[in-house]
Amino acid sequence: MALTGRAGLVAALGIVVVLFAPQPGPALAGVCLLLAAGILVDLTLAGAVRPLRFHRSGERLVRLGESTTVELTVENPGGRRVRGVLRDAWQPSAGAAPREAPLDVPAGERRKVVVTLTPTRRGDRESVAVAVRSLGPLGLAARQGGHRSPWTVRVLPPFLSRKHLPARLARLRELDGRHPALVRGQGTEFDSLREYVAGDDVRSIDWRATARRHDVVVRTWRPERDRRVLIVLDTGRTSAGRVGAAPIPLAGAVPKGPAGQPARPEPGWPRLDWSMDAALLLAALAARAGDRVDLLAYDRSVRTWLSGASRTELLSSLVNAMAPIEAELVEADAQGMVAAILARAKRRCLVVLLTDLNAAAMDEGLMPVLPQLSARHLVLVAGVSDPRVAAMAAGRGTAEEVYDAAAAEHARLERRRITARLRRHGVEVVDAPPDDLAPALADHYLALKAAGRL
Amino acid sequence: MTTPHQAPPAGGSASAPTSPTLRSMWRGGRLIALLGLIVVAIAAITTLLGPDPRQERFLDPDDTSLRGSKALAELLRARGVTVDRVDSVEKARALGGDRLLFASDTLYLATDDLTDLPGDRLLVGAFDLKQLAPGVEPAPEVARERSRAPECALPAAAAAGSAFIGGVAFEVPPGGTGCYPSREGWTLVTHAAPTGTTTVVGSGSFMTNLRLDEDGNAALAINLLDTGKPVTWLVRPENPSPGDLAGEEGRSIYDLMPPGIGWSLLMAGVAVVLVAFWRGRRLGPVVVERLPVVVRAAETVEGRGRLYRARKARERAAGALRAGALDRLIPRLGLGRGANGHEVVAAIAAGTDEDPRQVGDALYGPPPENDEGLVALAGYVDHIERKVSEL
Repeated sequence: MALTGRAGLVAALGIVVVLFAPQPGPALAGVCLLLAAGILVDLTLAGAVRPLRFHRSGERLVRLGESTTVELTVENPGGRRVRGVLRDAWQPSAGAAPREAPLDVPAGERRKVVVTLTPTRRGDRESVAVAVRSLGPLGLAARQGGHRSPWTVRVLPPFLSRKHLPARLARLRELDGRHPALVRGQGTEFDSLREYVAGDDVRSIDWRATARRHDVVVRTWRPERDRRVLIVLDTGRTSAGRVGAAPIPLAGAVPKGPAGQPARPEPGWPRLDWSMDAALLLAALAARAGDRVDLLAYDRSVRTWLSGASRTELLSSLVNAMAPIEAELVEADAQGMVAAILARAKRRCLVVLLTDLNAAAMDEGLMPVLPQLSARHLVLVAGVSDPRVAAMAAGRGTAEEVYDAAAAEHARLERRRITARLRRHGVEVVDAPPDDLAPALADHYLALKAAGRL
Repeated sequence: MTTPHQAPPAGGSASAPTSPTLRSMWRGGRLIALLGLIVVAIAAITTLLGPDPRQERFLDPDDTSLRGSKALAELLRARGVTVDRVDSVEKARALGGDRLLFASDTLYLATDDLTDLPGDRLLVGAFDLKQLAPGVEPAPEVARERSRAPECALPAAAAAGSAFIGGVAFEVPPGGTGCYPSREGWTLVTHAAPTGTTTVVGSGSFMTNLRLDEDGNAALAINLLDTGKPVTWLVRPENPSPGDLAGEEGRSIYDLMPPGIGWSLLMAGVAVVLVAFWRGRRLGPVVVERLPVVVRAAETVEGRGRLYRARKARERAAGALRAGALDRLIPRLGLGRGANGHEVVAAIAAGTDEDPRQVGDALYGPPPENDEGLVALAGYVDHIERKVSEL
């Protein structure tokens, strides 16, 4: 049960009545009895909440930054009209609106309540409960009850870097495929045989085929295809650090200062989310280029393993697999990660390791075991650099800023040192600020492909 | 938000009520209700069967507690002294006659009323003495309560010997007698007032059940009270309420309030409870969510910067700035990784028109001696980098 403000108002009016009544004692008893009777009448005559039935329909998937709707159908099989409010209790970051919706379902009918979800972060969001408050005819008291009507909406990574895809695809077409090259170069493989046309390079004539066909036949070549790309997401503690500016603002993450300004600098997105964005662009590009893409997410155990997705389904499977992954606050186990990669990638492939180029963590973790990996596979390590560190390194003027600049310079130096060491091990390194990571990684992939190093 | 929707729901999922029924509430709550009932029952029984809950009443002839004075009253009665316990001035006046008035607590008495009572007086503690015992002035300091020798010729005190006394100290008026001196003054003063002999003692604890059998306490108390006159023992009224305190023209605060105020306060309480229930009842459960940590990656770098600042680590700060600059300068100057300081300085001085000694000091010299030096160093290193990049 629940009371309304009207009950409190009646009681407040009762104070005045009792104060000026000739016999205050009986007046008090009368007011209280009247109120109790009214509440009792309301509770008896309010539409029952327990027999209500709920059905849901609507979207199951939504991309972060977009809105979706979920419809909740309320069916009232009882004998009385249910009038009041309904709350569909979603998790806070699902951004459900409205919080409470008015409800009026006549007996034996059903009504639809539409809830708009605007999620503020990635992952699975569920509706925990549906609560209904059914008012009585006098509006003094209400019946209240909860129902479970589960529904989960998966919030997918936004794939903001898809704006870079057309330009990279154009580069890919230039490089390859639609125009078979007649010159055999590095990074090409045999494509087909066709009849000689005047103007073809005589060096590409396939004499053995020509002998069989009584016609001059030339070989054509195209860039290598059907290579394997294994994207590895490091979900350890270093990937939880937030960098850059969040393209989709986090609701309630930044407490506002007194002047409406954020009290602290905007915390940005976790490194993991930037890595995912870059991984999606790379996967989209690699799928178009005819390579196979697998995904592994690892910290101390395998978080996600996605393999063998068909080329048309690849992106949707990837975003689905990535959506629930969160950074774990544990040190990543590099040895285990390398073992997991080696167990899964039997053939030589391009291992794209998306992690943080953190010197301390790398020295302890990845550096000792990297040779095992680079001996069998081509390894590309991609890390998000922090624009805030670059801004700090440029700070001059006051002693405070110079001390900060020295600290930032120290961090950058460590980062360059670890990058240099990685390159000496024959590992490709992409180190870019958050907004540039995805295109930089895609460009590096194209360059590797053009050089035939996959 | 509600729209008519007549078509059957397409592919909806089932729902189940989660709110408790009366039966489940009874099942879940009956143990707690039983426990509550037991607690209430035990409390009621101990209250009904327990000792008299009345407070200890200081110097009350009917109180048997350590602070009461029933022992003294019984002793006086055994010696044939009439002891009448009264709790108001009106009752004391009604007894009339030539009596000894013994008063120990004036909080609930108006001293004006006492002034015109005839007979002797024995007063305990700081009264408004101007009217009751003119001439006896309390000293500014309070004397510690302890066993004291009488050191006076007053028969009552001299016969009793040392007694546990202290409290308010007084100055003796002309013609009066002071006993039991302390450093602050006399703690027992007696003198002849117009209405009769008036005795003032600094504290009454020597008359309590606790102290009566120590020293000469009992003797002193009996000597003071057994004067051959009946004793009017004035105590404070039972559970006086603040509203009964005598006010202007004898009207208490309740006389000024409308009669229904108590009942309407009760009604206001009911209203507050209802409003609290209205505001406090939540629609649906609190929804919990496992949120990711919000920690900016740059915090470790900022922390290192603050550490440099706090420890004035100019050597490390300058070292980091120089190493960063050299890391960028050396490839730009076309030198190898292993180039030593002289080669680098020479290459910079040759490319730009900077003084080689200054360049060497900036890149390889001793650490700056103060923060201004560090800022200047950072500026000069920037200047060198700019010059080299313009080559």
